[in-house]
Formats: sequence, structure tokens, C-alpha cells
Amino acid sequence: MRPLLFADPQTAFALTASAVAFALGCALLLAIAVLGALRRWRAQRGAAIERHWRMALQAAAGEGAAIKLPAIGTRQLPLFLEVWNHLRESADGPAAARLEGLLTRNGIDRRARAMLRSTFLRQRLAAITALGYLRERGSWERLEALSRLADPVVSFAAARALLRIDAGHALEVLLGAIPARSDWPLARLATIFHELGPGTVTSALVTMLLRRPRPGLERVIKLSRFGQPEKISGIVRGWLGSSTDPDVLMAALAYIEDPRDLPWAHGAATHAQWRVRMAAARALGRVGGRDELPALLELLRDSIWWVRYHAAQGLIRLKGLEPFELETLRENARDAFAADMLGQALAERRWS
Amino acid sequence: MSLPVAALMWLFITYFVVINGACLALNLLAWPALRRRLSLLPLENLPPVHPDLAPPISLLICARDCEATIVERVRAALRLYYNEFEVVVVNDGSRDATLEVLRDAFGLESFPEVYWRRIPARPVRTIYHSRVHPNLRVVDKERGGTADALNVGINASRYPLFLALDARWSLRRDGLRLLVEPFVDDPKTVATGCTTRISEGGDFEAAPALPERLLDRMQVVEHLREPLFGRLGWARLNASLTVSGAAILFRKDAVVDTAGYRSDVIAEEMELVTRLHLAPRPGGERYRIHVIPEPICRQSPAANLGALRQARMRWQVSLAQSLARNRGHAGKRNATGRFARVFLLCFEVYGPAVEIAAYVMMTAMFLLGLLPGLAYVSFLALAFSLGFMVSMSALLLEEMSFRLYPRWGQAARLAIAAIAENLGYRQLVAFWRLDALLRWWQAR
Repeated sequence: MRPLLFADPQTAFALTASAVAFALGCALLLAIAVLGALRRWRAQRGAAIERHWRMALQAAAGEGAAIKLPAIGTRQLPLFLEVWNHLRESADGPAAARLEGLLTRNGIDRRARAMLRSTFLRQRLAAITALGYLRERGSWERLEALSRLADPVVSFAAARALLRIDAGHALEVLLGAIPARSDWPLARLATIFHELGPGTVTSALVTMLLRRPRPGLERVIKLSRFGQPEKISGIVRGWLGSSTDPDVLMAALAYIEDPRDLPWAHGAATHAQWRVRMAAARALGRVGGRDELPALLELLRDSIWWVRYHAAQGLIRLKGLEPFELETLRENARDAFAADMLGQALAERRWS
Repeated sequence: MSLPVAALMWLFITYFVVINGACLALNLLAWPALRRRLSLLPLENLPPVHPDLAPPISLLICARDCEATIVERVRAALRLYYNEFEVVVVNDGSRDATLEVLRDAFGLESFPEVYWRRIPARPVRTIYHSRVHPNLRVVDKERGGTADALNVGINASRYPLFLALDARWSLRRDGLRLLVEPFVDDPKTVATGCTTRISEGGDFEAAPALPERLLDRMQVVEHLREPLFGRLGWARLNASLTVSGAAILFRKDAVVDTAGYRSDVIAEEMELVTRLHLAPRPGGERYRIHVIPEPICRQSPAANLGALRQARMRWQVSLAQSLARNRGHAGKRNATGRFARVFLLCFEVYGPAVEIAAYVMMTAMFLLGLLPGLAYVSFLALAFSLGFMVSMSALLLEEMSFRLYPRWGQAARLAIAAIAENLGYRQLVAFWRLDALLRWWQAR
């Protein structure tokens, strides 16, 4: 074989590139072996440490536990906080208080504050979560700054921690962000609102609803179900006469509980957007009586399946309408689609 | 070496360097997404999804002449963990006793349900409701093929998200919760895919078993290298065109707007994903197609070379069809049109042709004395080394993330398979894919 130096350029390139690729492949293979060994060792050690801390923390959470923790190394701290967070999540009452006391008495809160600056997402999140549970006011400013970051995960976790520390104040601080930050998952935000309870969130919800933020009003409307209905419904129903926005109208129609508001539902029954007509059908069926029969029969002939479906369901629920009358309506319906849909609704009622 | 021979050699060398370099780049691109995902695993870091706001899901099952397996498939679907879901079985004009076994097993009774034909499809004969499972319905329709049956399933479904279950793979029981998370966290999401892992036995209760046969283990490596980490890399660019062969959760409205599944393609889901990328959106509305890395979907390895050949040929034709059917949009939209499509055309569709041509022509030139031995050896060494490097990078990502095969012996056997697959397996697969491509061209 000729030495590489005398090979033609393409052969020299191919040999060099294959040597580089092979060396890189071998390096990766070595990395797999080393990393594998390291991870196995870490997993075993981590499991042992986790077991150790879990037992210690469980003992501390119980009666008569020692309040002095053994020294926790810097490398062990993130894992310790994750175990602590996990236990704190499921603890309440005196056990939760004991777990929190354990951290503050051993200076872990101070170390967790320092961990907020970590560049590792996992460590940062563990620290944010722990400080939230501790209701650690000393880290408020830092958490508030984190809640304004563009990163949706870190900012959302920080917002949650703020809400745990002081829900009332945090809601004031986050009034703008809750509607505006569409990257904060609404379904997770709903869990937080649910945990905080109507007594805590209603005032903030009322403020946000009155501001009618754009964009983001639909987020506030969806969250408003976690507030006190008597304080929310007045504002939302008030939009029936003042708004043409489909999202707003749908939300407002969902709050109709008083027959005096039914004229608004009749108006919405002819709206160009089918989702609004569907919401109108639901409102008419939920609150209405015999007077709403013509409107619901009209909606039963709608071109959209869901509008017809909810109109049929509305007819079933309509106060003062006897089952035989519904059968008569079905038999006499001139529109085949309407008759079929009413037939389905009647069958569903019999089936359930 | 004459100038034409040298030019050909440069061409093939460049091709191998670029395709393997791109695969390595995709793996590198996948790593930040994987790492971030792993950071979010501790449950306490983020609050759970509120059940009232978790979108309900319709699970669609297409049943055609499968009386022996359909009951177990439906039971497996009903056993999945999720807050609110329905199972819609579409009996696609079965000629055996599929409908009868379903009726007996689940207490089905015909129901006067009004069927909403949002997507054109073959007529529906009867809709059945289950007395035993309130969330189970069976739609009996005229025979029309899988795509047609799935379109009927979409029409009959009640919920905003749907997933078509396939007999070829099994879904982990908490898989729906993971698939729905991108929809919850990102309102722009129109579809979420996952990837399958090859494992003997689709039983999720047991730890995944690394297959015994070398051929099967090579499929494991192949799946890690291409579908898994490659897809994650593309997903970061919002350019996952090839999410298929695994569970994909779709937003129903988006699918209805694009007229549902097409009946004239082999892989309906792959084509649908491509179309979703390219669908016109009013006002340039943004969208995302996500891929989650969690190993929630499993399939068994191909039983023999014949089955493997069929699977790879099917993949090749599916990809070519998906791109050909949607070529009118090339280059018009985001990274998908501009980059992913070019990549897929050059390296996935026409790649096997270039690869096989390279092996055949280089060998012929060597045998004819036109190519020096050292040059020929250098070419083969390059093809092997680059493949070896990319396979190792995929194994490293697996080791750094989910470690489905954590034992020493398993890791070692996978590494051996990663080396061995470059010595014949990859070339054989490339040959099958070229064969499929030629047949497809001829058929057109």
C-alpha cells in the first residue's frame, strides 16, 4: 500500500475523514462505556442517598424527630431538595410544618436561594419549588425576576412559588402576566387557581375581567370558573350587551342563570359564529321555559351538527315540556336533520 | 486515476460525508430537547394539568377482518389511563365475524346517532353503543380501506383530539397523558408524535427485553439512529415530516380542515403530517408539530428478512408518495419547505440510489482496474466509519437519556450490533429501498 502522502487527493481525504470518523466513533463508544459506568454508579449511589434522605426526612416529618440534619454536600443538595419537594408535596398540617422547619433550621433555605442562579435547569427548578413551599420571603425579589424570564418553564415555576409565598401579593404582581403569557399552560395554571381556592383568587379575577385584557381575555374567562360565581357572573353577563367578540359572548352565555337574561341568549342564537349559537342553545335549554321552544326548534335546524345537538339537549332539559310532547315534536318535524337529532337526544336520555 | 473516476469518487465521498454529517447534526440538535425534557421529569416542578381543562381524546380503531384480535385491541384501548376519552371502533366492511365478536364482547346495541359527515367517506350503515362501556362506540360502514375508515372515525368522534391506534405497536398505559402535554403547554400544537422502540414483546409492565438475534438488535440501533433522535432533531426545527409508524395525537379541527386522510397513499399518517405542515393558515397562523422522546410506544422486531424487507420498502414508498403528493408547496413555508424537504428528497428518497450506485460503481471500477486498491479501500473505510460514528452518537444519546437497556451486557451487545449493522445490513436496507423506489416509479 502506498503511503498516504503519495495518495491522490480524494483517497487522502477519504482516508483522513474515515480515520477522524472512526476515532470519533471510538471516542463515543468510550464515552458510552464511561458514562454508562458512571450512571450505573450514580444510580446506585443516588438510590442509596435518596433512600437515606427519604428515611431521614420521613422521620423528621413524624413526631419527635431529630431536627439536626447530617451535613449535605453541594453535590447532594439538588437530589436532597428533589426528595424534600416530593415529600413536601404529599405532606400537610404539622408534618409539612416540620419538614419546612427542618430546612430553615439547617440553613438549606439559604443554599437553595444560591441555587436559583444555577445554570442547570433541574437544580434551578428544585430550588424554586422548595423556596415556594418554604414561603421564603427573602427570595421574593429574585423569584419575581425569574417569573419575568422568557423561559416558560422557569418563569412559570417561579410564578407558582410566588403564589405559594404570598398568594394575594403574587396575584397583584402577576395580574398582567396571567392573561398575557400564553406560554404559561392554562390547564396547569388552573390547578394552581383551584389549589388557592375561590376566596383567594376571586378579587384578582374580577380585576382581570374588568380590565378585559387583549390578548388573553379568553384565558381569564376560562380561569374565572375557579372564582366565586356570584362575583364573577355579574361582570361577565354584563358583556352580553356590550361585546361582539365571540369568545366573550360564549363565556357570558355560559354564566346565564337568570331568565331575565334570556333575551341576550335569543339574540345570540342567530350569531354568525356557530360556537356562539351553540352556547346560546345551551343557555336557552338550561334556563329557559316554553317561551324558548321556537328559538330552540330553529337552532335544531342549524347547519352545524354541534348546534343541533345542543339544541336537542336543550329541548330535553327545557322546563315544563313533557316527554310525549318531545316525541310529538320529533314526529312532526319537517326537517329530517332536526328530527334525527331530537331522536338521538331522546335515545340518549332513555339509554342513561 | 482518470479525471472522470476521480470526479465520481469525489461525488460519492462528498455524499457520504454530508449525509452522515447531517445525521450527526440532527442527533446533536436533539440533545438540548432531550435534556430539557429530562429536567422536567420530577413531578413537583410543575403543577399537573387540571382535569377540567385537559382536552378529551377520541381513540380510533380501524377493524377489518380481524375477528381474532379485535376484542383484545379494544380492551387494551379501554385500559389506557386518561381523564376523559372515548374509543371509536370503525368496522370497515369486515367479511368475517369482527362485528359479531365486538357485539358479544361489549354488549353493543344499535343507536340512532346522527352521523356528521365532515370528511367525505364511504357510507355508514349502523352506529352501535356499548351497554358495558359508556365510552365505547362501534361504527359499521361499507368497505373502503384504512384511510376511509379513519375518516369515518374522525367524523363520528366527539372530542377535539384524536389518535388512531394501530395493531403494529402498543402504547404505554399513561402514554396519552404524555402525548397531550404539548397541546396543553403550547396552544399552537396541531399534532404530537412519539417514536417506537423495538422490543421483544409489547408488554409495558415488564422491562424491555433486548432481542436475542443480531438482526433484531440491528433494528434496535437503526430505530434509535433514524426515527428517534432524527425526529427529535427535526422537531426542534418544527420540520418533522416523517412522524409515522407510531402514536400521533392530532387536533381534529386541523385535520378536518385539510380534508382528513388520503386513500391513495400507503402511509396515511405520514402524508397527513406532511400536509398539515403545508396547509394554508389564515393570517399566517403559527403551528407546531411536536415529537416527545419518552419511550411510550413499542413494537416487535420484524420476524424475518422478508418482513423486514417489506417494512423498509413500505417506508420508502410512503416517504416518496408523501413528498410527491405535496410537492406544490416546496419552499413556500418555514423550515419544512426550505430545508427538511430538500434533505428528505436528497438523502432519504434518492439517498439509497446514490448509496447503491456508489458501492456498485466503485466496486466495478476497482475490478476493471480503473480505481487503485487504496482508493477503493479508503472509500469502504469511509462508508463504514461514518456509519459507525452516527450509530454510536445515537447510542450515546440513549445512554444519556432513557437507558432502556441499562445492563452492561445489553449495552455491549447493542454496541456490537451498531458496528455490525454497517457491514452489510445498512447496504441491504439501502438496496431494498432502491428496489421499492424503482417499483414505485414504474407503477407511476
